[in-house]
Amino acid sequence: MTAPATITVDPITVEVIGSSFASITEEMGEALVKASYSTNIKERRDCSTALFDIEGSTLCQAEHIPMHLGSFIGIIPHILKRHPIAEMKPGDVFIGNDAYEGGGTHLPDIVLAEPIFHGETMVAWAVNTAHHSDFADRGHAHIYQEGLRIPPIRLYDGGVLMKDVQELILLNCQVPRERLSDLRAQMAANRLGVERVRALCDKYGRDTMLSAGRALQDYAERKMRAGIASIPDGIYRFVDFFDNPEIEQPLEFSVEITVAGEEMTLDFKSPPQARAGFNMVYTALLSTVYYAVKTVSDPTIPPNSGLARPLTVIAEPGTVLNCVHPAAVNGRIASCQRVVDLIHGALAQAVPERVIAACCGTAASATFMGAMPGTGELWVYLETIGGGSGARVGKDGLDGVHVHMTNTSNLPVEALELEYPLTLLRYELVDDSGGHGRQRGGMGLRRVYRAEAPCRLNLDNSRLNSQPWGIAGGGSGQGGSFTFSDAVGPFVNGDGSLEAGQIVAIITPGAGGYGPASERAPEALARDIAEGRRSAR
Amino acid sequence: MAWRIGIDSGGTFTDVCLFDDATGEVSVWKVPSTPDDPSRAIAQGTQEGTQRVGANTGDVAYFGHGTTVGTNALIQHRGVRTGLITTDGFRDLIEIGRQKRPDLYDLQVDKAPPLVTRDLRFGVAERVRHDGSVEIPLDEDAVRQAARALKAAGVKAIAIGFLYGFVRPDHEILAKRIVLEEFPEAFVCASHEVAPEFREYERISTAVVNAYLGPVMHNYIRRLADRLKELGLATTPHLTQSNGGVIGFDMAARLPVRTVLSGPSTGVVAAQAIGQMTGIANLITFDMGGTSSDVALLRNGEAKLASEANVHGYPIKAPMLDIHTVGAGGGSLAAIDSGGLLKVGPRSAGADPGPVCYGRGSTEPAVTDANVVLQTLNPTHLLGGRMPIRQDLSKQAIGRLADTLGLDVMATAQGIISVVTANMAKAIRVVSVQRGHDPRDYALVAFGGAGPLHAARLARELDMKRIVVPRNPGIGCALGLLLTDLRANFATTRLAPLGDALIEDMASIFAGLEAQSLHWFGEEKVLAADRKLRRTADLRYQGQNYELSIEVPEGPITTATIAALAQGFAQAHLRLYGFVAEGETVQVVTYRAEAVGFVPKAQFRPEPDAGPDASGAIVGRREVWFPETGGFVDCPIYDREKLKSGNVFAGPAIVEQMDATTVLLPGMTARVEPYLNLILETP
Repeated sequence: MTAPATITVDPITVEVIGSSFASITEEMGEALVKASYSTNIKERRDCSTALFDIEGSTLCQAEHIPMHLGSFIGIIPHILKRHPIAEMKPGDVFIGNDAYEGGGTHLPDIVLAEPIFHGETMVAWAVNTAHHSDFADRGHAHIYQEGLRIPPIRLYDGGVLMKDVQELILLNCQVPRERLSDLRAQMAANRLGVERVRALCDKYGRDTMLSAGRALQDYAERKMRAGIASIPDGIYRFVDFFDNPEIEQPLEFSVEITVAGEEMTLDFKSPPQARAGFNMVYTALLSTVYYAVKTVSDPTIPPNSGLARPLTVIAEPGTVLNCVHPAAVNGRIASCQRVVDLIHGALAQAVPERVIAACCGTAASATFMGAMPGTGELWVYLETIGGGSGARVGKDGLDGVHVHMTNTSNLPVEALELEYPLTLLRYELVDDSGGHGRQRGGMGLRRVYRAEAPCRLNLDNSRLNSQPWGIAGGGSGQGGSFTFSDAVGPFVNGDGSLEAGQIVAIITPGAGGYGPASERAPEALARDIAEGRRSAR
Repeated sequence: MAWRIGIDSGGTFTDVCLFDDATGEVSVWKVPSTPDDPSRAIAQGTQEGTQRVGANTGDVAYFGHGTTVGTNALIQHRGVRTGLITTDGFRDLIEIGRQKRPDLYDLQVDKAPPLVTRDLRFGVAERVRHDGSVEIPLDEDAVRQAARALKAAGVKAIAIGFLYGFVRPDHEILAKRIVLEEFPEAFVCASHEVAPEFREYERISTAVVNAYLGPVMHNYIRRLADRLKELGLATTPHLTQSNGGVIGFDMAARLPVRTVLSGPSTGVVAAQAIGQMTGIANLITFDMGGTSSDVALLRNGEAKLASEANVHGYPIKAPMLDIHTVGAGGGSLAAIDSGGLLKVGPRSAGADPGPVCYGRGSTEPAVTDANVVLQTLNPTHLLGGRMPIRQDLSKQAIGRLADTLGLDVMATAQGIISVVTANMAKAIRVVSVQRGHDPRDYALVAFGGAGPLHAARLARELDMKRIVVPRNPGIGCALGLLLTDLRANFATTRLAPLGDALIEDMASIFAGLEAQSLHWFGEEKVLAADRKLRRTADLRYQGQNYELSIEVPEGPITTATIAALAQGFAQAHLRLYGFVAEGETVQVVTYRAEAVGFVPKAQFRPEPDAGPDASGAIVGRREVWFPETGGFVDCPIYDREKLKSGNVFAGPAIVEQMDATTVLLPGMTARVEPYLNLILETP
């Protein structure tokens, strides 16, 4: 293969091709959601799509779930390590999920990557990841307990399904029918991406398309540099605590951020990796940093690899925030959420008007697993529950939303109860959970389930012992908690069981306020009280 | 003698389009809107318009109307104070939505505020299960208490939305009865009446929007119907829905949520007709009015129809054309933001007081003022002389902005145009580039009062080579009303596997939908020969949650129908997703009937070619300021009425007509085609 010619592309064409990449990835995402069977994808949209250049730099990631960028950063280099480009054919599809060998950040996120050929020439990759809610009711002492590890291998070879590979994977899953159909939906998404990128090459010419891709990365880099340059130079430090149902004592996380001109270095310290699921691999840390810095420097930077160039990310290998084999990683998003708060906390010293107070700091989740009454077929249902978003310099925080690294939808009650032996009793904002302040922190959520059949349940939540902090004198938000109906057995490391008729309530944290509560506008305070968002005190 | 009238009531002007069935002549009239009660201007426009052409209102055979009353009330949050009664434990659902934040990276973006404040949302004990069984009977006392509390709180409308209201509406029906007993004057609507489909948030949101707009639309339609009756109008008036079809006033008053895109959708229908006339099938419509601009994309003459859309932050389950709106219009106000940047819109001067140049007391400059200062707009009068313009006041107002910015008046006026152009270009990118279409492959159809004035700049910004300016751009939407069919959609959701066992049920469900359609045809007085019924079924593989709409062949439901549906679904699934899941159950989810009542359309006639010489249409000259030259340039003024088929002329030039002004930039040429549409081209 010859190196593509670099040609100068006019700015309008670059923009049109850039927007085409964005609309292709959006369209891929819609196909994935619409063709899928599992509630986690078809309703909760826990999936992402992207296009990559041949070497694995992101051309564009659809605006779905920032966390999934972690899987995307890793997958292509891991494929290329095992499979030389020269051996690739149209119709090859690679599958992978492993956090250490497969480019993933936790095992349920299964990535499918398909090389895109224009004629005989490979031009790019269509990639998507979907969170398969499976591998439930497992241990998290190390990754071998967490599910099947899949290195990047061919699921399709030149368009032919590798049935043996598929059967091996499906036998290791608790809900194989959903896995099979979700994999088909992932195939559909990539196929669409392949077709659309080919059409783009036909229209503009392969070299123009590839050159525009590079120009877009340079553009993202320039925007990121300009954004960082607008932050005053200096060294900014912040310390926060991480807590979780898996640990007794909170862990200390800290960051030291050095802003020097157009570049930024982030140096993280955390305890040694734990025999628990909240460790995160380096690619997860990178995607977290990219997200957090983008929110502060310039939210309009296009989501491609160029934005990473001015950033240096340091964390000691073998620690919670940069774990190594064989650490368990299933619950890594909890730590990622805290890392975003950490970065905002540090940069609050430099650009207080651009950061927000601590959010709920979690992607609180409930994973149910059981056997369907009657058929005995296994079912797994994952819900992640939003919470408060931090107050902003001139505005209250958002109530009851997903924050930072995730942005999945909830499962509608009318979809949930049709598919699982569960009843949703309440889904509401938690009064008094938003931190007081001149601007109020966002409110947490309460989601109450009743089991209609015996099931296992894993619960994740955070800010159980600490509280989401406020900025500039703003009050703390209320932390997270769980409540159970009488006679529910003990939960250990977040794991337990429910009998038919038993009830669990997941209460997610609110968020911190901004500025002193004494400065809150009287009419805003009166409205909060009239609406029951806070009690009169 | 029969006349057909289309009236589009916008935020700033009310446009009247009259078509004489006998001669094929189109006449237009325009009156300032009366936003406090738009029916006043409509009645006035109808009266003046018919008088002008020497017709009696009694001669009007068809009256079609498009309105922005609903959409404006939604954008500006000027619906009525509304209450919600819902299942206990779920009163925050309309606020939580799908729990997603509105922007992934920009942490300053807010969610659209809930249309019902939290203190006006009441949860009552009741619970229906997914299979339709009742777990907790409705607490009727609680409903009664809630109705009393809401009445005491001064609400005008109440939405009722319970879980599974679409499966078993009994609780919603009972609650509605109780609420009406306590509070008979309230506008009450239940979720199963407006959107009997699954997903509680989207369904209840649709009911809430319907309630929020209900009294606004109901009062508006009642007043309008009364006024039209007083004028002696004998025909039944019609209102456009978001799907591009029209319905009668009664149905529109019950289901205002179906008309939130009423105004803009008629513009799309008009653009479709212009596309057919001019033979240009790929079009981007650009309808710029006083407060907002609407854009839509027509590929091969067709606009996309969605069954659900998010309108200004509120999900609405109703069929609507894919139209994107931005708050950028002639009345959009220019101001300097906290960061010292010049911003234009979304605040608008509206019709009253209007821009500064109207001399009605406004001091904040609008886009129109910038055009008056640049003299792209006539600096002395508009509406063919009926409206005097105060350029001196515009200059003073823009001068104040210029002083703050440290620029001169002309550069500031042009800056206002540049900013509003960029805003509109972004809207066009949403419907084109973001959906994978290159705007350079499309022609821009410019209409609305301000469309032709800004089209040339906008096209240049997007590198679009061709612009179509319709014969009567200022009344594009009103014209569309004369080309629109009656259209109503009916649906029933009932899940079942597709197979021969379903034949009987499917036949009876479609029979029910057909009965509803027939009833509607009767209500709308559609003759048997003009009726068309299209049946579709939404299918999916069992396990999926999104369906594909498949056409049901005409005739009785038989095994052949089932086979045709199965085959149609497999083909559509293969085409969209690239695979067929052999052996898996296909599920029918929703049965739909679309009833279309054909309306005789206005028939336009081509004009004979009069040759390229356009000099006969020049009626004067005016100095116009162009940034390309950095100063005033002497431009010919063409009278649109005098331009003839085949005429050709070059920019810079201005074309004036009663309802719009067209600007040709230096380097552009214009050609008048046989139907008198103006085609602007950049070589």
